[in-house]
Amino acid sequence: MKPWSFLIFCSLALLHLTGCNSSPPQFSNRAEFDDLEPYAQEYVSEVLDSYFGTPTESVAWERLPVEYHFTETTVSSSPSPRKVTLDVAAGGHGSIGPGTEIHFASTNESNWITEWDAATGLATLERKPTQAIAEGEAVIVGPGAILKNGRHLYAQHCQHCHGVSGDGNGPTARYLNPLPRDYRNGRFKFTTTSYDFSPSRDDLGRVIREGIPGTYMPSFKLLKQEEMQAIVEYVRWLSMRGEIEKQLIETALADYTHEAVKLRVDGGASREEIEAEFYKRLADGEIQESLEVVVDLMVERWKGSDLAENMVQVATKRPPATPESIAHGRQLYLDVNNKCASCHGDAGFGDGPQNYAYTPGKPGPGLYDDWDNPIKPRNLHTGIYRGGRRPYDLFCRIRASVKGTPMPKFDTMKEEDVWDLVNYVYSIPYEEEVAGSGRLEEMVDSAESEIESAAESESNEVASR
Amino acid sequence: MKWFWCLFFAFWPILAIAVCLVAPAYGWWFPGPAASPLGQRIDDLFYMILIITTLTFIGTQIGLAYVLFTGARRTDPDVQQKAWFSHGSHELEVIWSVAPAFILLFIALYQLDVWADYRVKDMFPHEEMEGLLAEGLHQKRDEHDNMHLAEVTARQFEWRIRYPGFDEDGNLLPLEREPQPTDLYDVNDLHLPASAPVMIMLKSQDVQHSFFLPELRVKQDAVPGLVIPIWFEATKKGEYALTCAELCGWGHYKMKARFVAESDEEFLEYLRELHRKQFFDGVVEAESEEEEDE
Repeated sequence: MKPWSFLIFCSLALLHLTGCNSSPPQFSNRAEFDDLEPYAQEYVSEVLDSYFGTPTESVAWERLPVEYHFTETTVSSSPSPRKVTLDVAAGGHGSIGPGTEIHFASTNESNWITEWDAATGLATLERKPTQAIAEGEAVIVGPGAILKNGRHLYAQHCQHCHGVSGDGNGPTARYLNPLPRDYRNGRFKFTTTSYDFSPSRDDLGRVIREGIPGTYMPSFKLLKQEEMQAIVEYVRWLSMRGEIEKQLIETALADYTHEAVKLRVDGGASREEIEAEFYKRLADGEIQESLEVVVDLMVERWKGSDLAENMVQVATKRPPATPESIAHGRQLYLDVNNKCASCHGDAGFGDGPQNYAYTPGKPGPGLYDDWDNPIKPRNLHTGIYRGGRRPYDLFCRIRASVKGTPMPKFDTMKEEDVWDLVNYVYSIPYEEEVAGSGRLEEMVDSAESEIESAAESESNEVASR
Repeated sequence: MKWFWCLFFAFWPILAIAVCLVAPAYGWWFPGPAASPLGQRIDDLFYMILIITTLTFIGTQIGLAYVLFTGARRTDPDVQQKAWFSHGSHELEVIWSVAPAFILLFIALYQLDVWADYRVKDMFPHEEMEGLLAEGLHQKRDEHDNMHLAEVTARQFEWRIRYPGFDEDGNLLPLEREPQPTDLYDVNDLHLPASAPVMIMLKSQDVQHSFFLPELRVKQDAVPGLVIPIWFEATKKGEYALTCAELCGWGHYKMKARFVAESDEEFLEYLRELHRKQFFDGVVEAESEEEEDE
């Protein structure tokens, strides 16, 4: 064999090994998926595929509270066959422009905008519609475009840490501590919504814009408003997908895990019977029904998260951080009923006894979050506030907790008490003397000697006059 | 064949010069004209050195081409001319040692001013900075207070910024080295007054980064453990790029921020807005409703 042909052979072999056509990205399943019997797995995959599709062929499931399209509006007039004026007074979208798809509901026809005037809403279409466009006709501008943009931006900026399916397990995730968020159980730590709700769109947007200091989540401030919105919608969509998967496995299909099936087989049932029973329940719509319940609850919760009434409510302004307010906050902090110090430590260094306590069901001592990762209570001396440093942010952390962590919610505490706690927490990084650093006798001694020396110098001063 | 090689080697320096000449027209050049007076002086230095090196380059290439072509001609069968051996010529050695030495010495001395103005603390434009702080921004200060207007902390992979806050009467406070309860915080968005020299403190929270304002020709490494003062002056109001110029990790490319140079009033207004946002306590009053959904 001649040397050059050998070289070509080698490079072809290398190309074959490394591959020049990468396969499209795929959503991965959660670990619990493997515990299901094959037929149950098949059903989960079917549900997820039909309602969400794949990362590159996404499905916009209209039932979910996700903004998929730039806007849904009506035609207000059609000056010529290839021109339409859209009613965008209700709020157009910054991303509409040449190339945007426009879908006419009545004819089920898609067209594309070639010229766009945002001020008047006048769009010139690429081709003449088959039927004349009537006034008041419903159109979708940019069908699925936000989801698509969101996916592209997510792939560019977020995916390498948060993963294709939002499982917080992208290729760079392994280098990070704390780990990137796994969206798939619908829990997000830093929100301004009350305890039972998901984050609002503003909450997610704020985290993307401002980042999370103290973690690897950087700020994406230079992204445009529309770009951030698209990412927020995509993250919501991923989170809902993950949640449906989780709920399906944990509730609707709980009877069809390897373990549950084994128990029943031990009890006398045969595997074939159980499988047949599964298909019968599927045919009767029973499983579908429990899926419906799961979806309904989830949709309601996400919808509710954007309502003002479900935000953490504050009626009174934050009182000034007077020594009294801080002292009262400190008192509340040490109060056994509030248990702040049991995790955050007497002096706020995040070194409370709970850090060493065993909790049943956890792999080791200490505290764990909902994702079963070990976590530490915040050291309050650093002056770093992950969820934001506004008084309102701290108020929300206390009122609605850091969701998904052992931090409890204090939703029945009096508002002025929460504010005193907030004032105390704010004062910790600036303490001149760390709480508990001195012994009582010493303090009394030094105070007395100080008074004595002060009295002496005063009397000296008087004498010298 | 020998003429081919002569032309081949003569071709490359000509191409190099031609590419350099057309480069600015194609935008393969500096990121715009220098946006700061010091940047202009750095550019001037650059162009001076570029002219010197270009002349040297052309001179040596012409010499090389001359040797190449005459040498090649001497190998023609009908030519009887002998080669001239210059090796070991004392005069030539002295000329090409001393002449570059003088040029290098000249550059070394000539650039001292610019370097000192940019890096030596005593040479910083203290009076102008003092003037901006006291008169332009009405800062309550005495001669011991810092002149820095912001602390920029680089971290993987963003720029965290700390500004001084306001006192009870709404006067701008001086920036302290240690964080204060009144301080204002922002990220990836550095706002400073234009048309006057301003100073910042540069820090790094983790690894080495580099604070780079390409349009202003400002580049300074951020070194963990050091607080490095940098001053610069944007000649015009506007938005400039702020990037990291030191490969700091896998997310290096994410460290893109914005530097906004604005008028003194706009800068103060920006800080006041930051103050309003940062001390937002969830109570939405009628006149400040937009705070929630910004």
